[in-house]
Amino acid sequence: MRKQMVCGVLCAAMVFGTLAGCSGKTETGGNQSSVAQDGGGSSSGKTYAVITKSAGNPYNEKIAQGFQKVIEAEGGTCIVKHPESATADAQVSVIQSLISQGVDSICIAGNDENALQAALEDAMAAGIKVSCLDSKVNKDSRQTFVNQAGIKEIGQALMEAVYDISGGEGDWAILSATSQATNQNAWIESMKEVMKEEKYSKLNLVEVAYGDDEPQKSTDQTQALLSKYPDLKVICAPTTVGINAAAKVLQDEKSKVKLTGLGLPSEMAEYIGDDEAHSCPYMYLWNPLDVGSLGAYTSMALVEGKITGKAGDKFKAGEMGDYQVIEASDGGTEIILGPPFKFDSSNIAEWKSVY
Amino acid sequence: MAGKSGRSISAQSDQNWKKRILSWEGVLILLFLMVNLFCMVISPSYKPVNVLREMPKYLTEVFLLLPMAYILILGEIDLSVGATVCLSATTACLAGNAGVPFPVVLLIGILTGTACGLFNGIAVTLFTELPSMIVTLATMIIFRGVAEIALGSGGSVSLKNNQGFRAMAGKIGPVPYIFFVVIIAAVIFTFLLSKTTFGRKLYAIGSNRKASYFSGIHVQKIRLLVYSVAGMMAGISAMFLVSVLYGANTTTGSGFELDAIAMAVFGGISTAGGKGKLAGAIISAFIIICLRIGLGQINMNPQVILVILGTLLILAVMIPEIVKNVKRKQL
Repeated sequence: MRKQMVCGVLCAAMVFGTLAGCSGKTETGGNQSSVAQDGGGSSSGKTYAVITKSAGNPYNEKIAQGFQKVIEAEGGTCIVKHPESATADAQVSVIQSLISQGVDSICIAGNDENALQAALEDAMAAGIKVSCLDSKVNKDSRQTFVNQAGIKEIGQALMEAVYDISGGEGDWAILSATSQATNQNAWIESMKEVMKEEKYSKLNLVEVAYGDDEPQKSTDQTQALLSKYPDLKVICAPTTVGINAAAKVLQDEKSKVKLTGLGLPSEMAEYIGDDEAHSCPYMYLWNPLDVGSLGAYTSMALVEGKITGKAGDKFKAGEMGDYQVIEASDGGTEIILGPPFKFDSSNIAEWKSVY
Repeated sequence: MAGKSGRSISAQSDQNWKKRILSWEGVLILLFLMVNLFCMVISPSYKPVNVLREMPKYLTEVFLLLPMAYILILGEIDLSVGATVCLSATTACLAGNAGVPFPVVLLIGILTGTACGLFNGIAVTLFTELPSMIVTLATMIIFRGVAEIALGSGGSVSLKNNQGFRAMAGKIGPVPYIFFVVIIAAVIFTFLLSKTTFGRKLYAIGSNRKASYFSGIHVQKIRLLVYSVAGMMAGISAMFLVSVLYGANTTTGSGFELDAIAMAVFGGISTAGGKGKLAGAIISAFIIICLRIGLGQINMNPQVILVILGTLLILAVMIPEIVKNVKRKQL
């Protein structure tokens, strides 16, 4: 029995040691942990948090980088938080943890539009300024939304690309992320809306497949699309993970099916080109660093009281220029970054090293 | 204290205080105190009021832990409870949006869970030779599949009127309601397991199902009951989860079953059945919750937190084995 106790104590000591070691590492790691101990005061001592959809999402990580750079340049403290998994449940825990830490603002890329409402209302009740970027949360859960591109602009650009690449007629499919991703669904809806025009009447959308933003599942879904629809001409993947997986499948199999959508230039560089050997003639995206930067400027403007998130508020986002808060289609407000940017064989080389 | 198989089915609890302190539960209490101390040292925001505010979402998993402990003691496993949470939350939210009054919504949610559990119970008692892991793996896929169909293409439903659930997420002082409900449930489950013949029967079945059957224990009836209760508790868990999320989606409750199993095993409940105490499982649940909250507050990378929890779990399983081996060599 004494052995058991000794063992127990040793175990506890070991755990203690491990934990202490780990926490030490993160503390010196820099970008992860900077706890707001002074609890605010001067404007430069404020703490700004950004919550991503999940760890290992390259797009969100670039957003966080852009966010962090601006905050730190302005003398604030930045906390970058990744949830345990890409679910709303996991983000609830993260939000609650940030409330405990007493941060001044939270800027979040939501994994679900409505499920974060209770947590974010708690945050706002605790005096924290809440905004969102990339993927929005509902109007009651936020003060404003940093929209990377108007939904209409995206739908229009993607539909135009599908029309152009397919030659104006034939079967095409969409490879999306998860079936409940807010932004994905909004873009898909918008594409369907655009497709109602007479010009697109010869295009036939055969399926919306969901790759859940997992490389393997996206690969499987692409292969399933190819075998199910032999006459398929174009796949449109409005997600960075999906387009990358699909591009690899199409190029490896030397498929005639072409690809477009929204993708990261650094990941897609080897697939972009006008000839037969490349699977993606061109694609779109905006600059996630800019999205993050605008999110940071928005958070700061909210914390400093320059804006309240009401439509009509105006603020200066550093070198990015002046922005205005406008009414969003869901009844809340938003700030639109700008139209999407086209990446093709002429400019991919210079962009692939940027992000 | 323990027989040849290392299982204790004696009805007499260890009266010796020394033994009690040196037991696995004693170690866990020590660990719980240390974890709290550790969190207070590393995080200035680790205060009771903050911890209690962060707790409700984590506490929903404790509802699953209690029946999971029973099932593990039976020598079985239930992988479907996470999916049951998803399905219960979905039906409740859909019912709520259809204009059903709040108490009925709650009832629908809990009944859905119970029905799922009953389905599991019928499946495992009708085909007794099938391993519960396979049956509940199948029902996990079925339940989540049904939920996904009900949720439709959007994959999520949010409550149009969340007044009732909002009230459910309320607090008495700094203590959320769910905390009291969890404590009451924990007391009932612990009492039933350690102080009643029903509890002894669970241990007996877990130790040797055939022998229990020939001793006149209604093995299949008890298994059916335990699986149904697991479903019911998943329904209750789902209702509290809805009060946090104001809705349901396809990922609701994902991984809950594994968290519950991890908490139980960490608490000293053997997956081989017939062994372990619920008190240990409940303490270990709070150890894991407190550790998650504390490490979350210092913004530790969540993947690192998972690695730490995994390490703790494997140590918890290994240490008693090592102790046993050392003892055997000494003899």
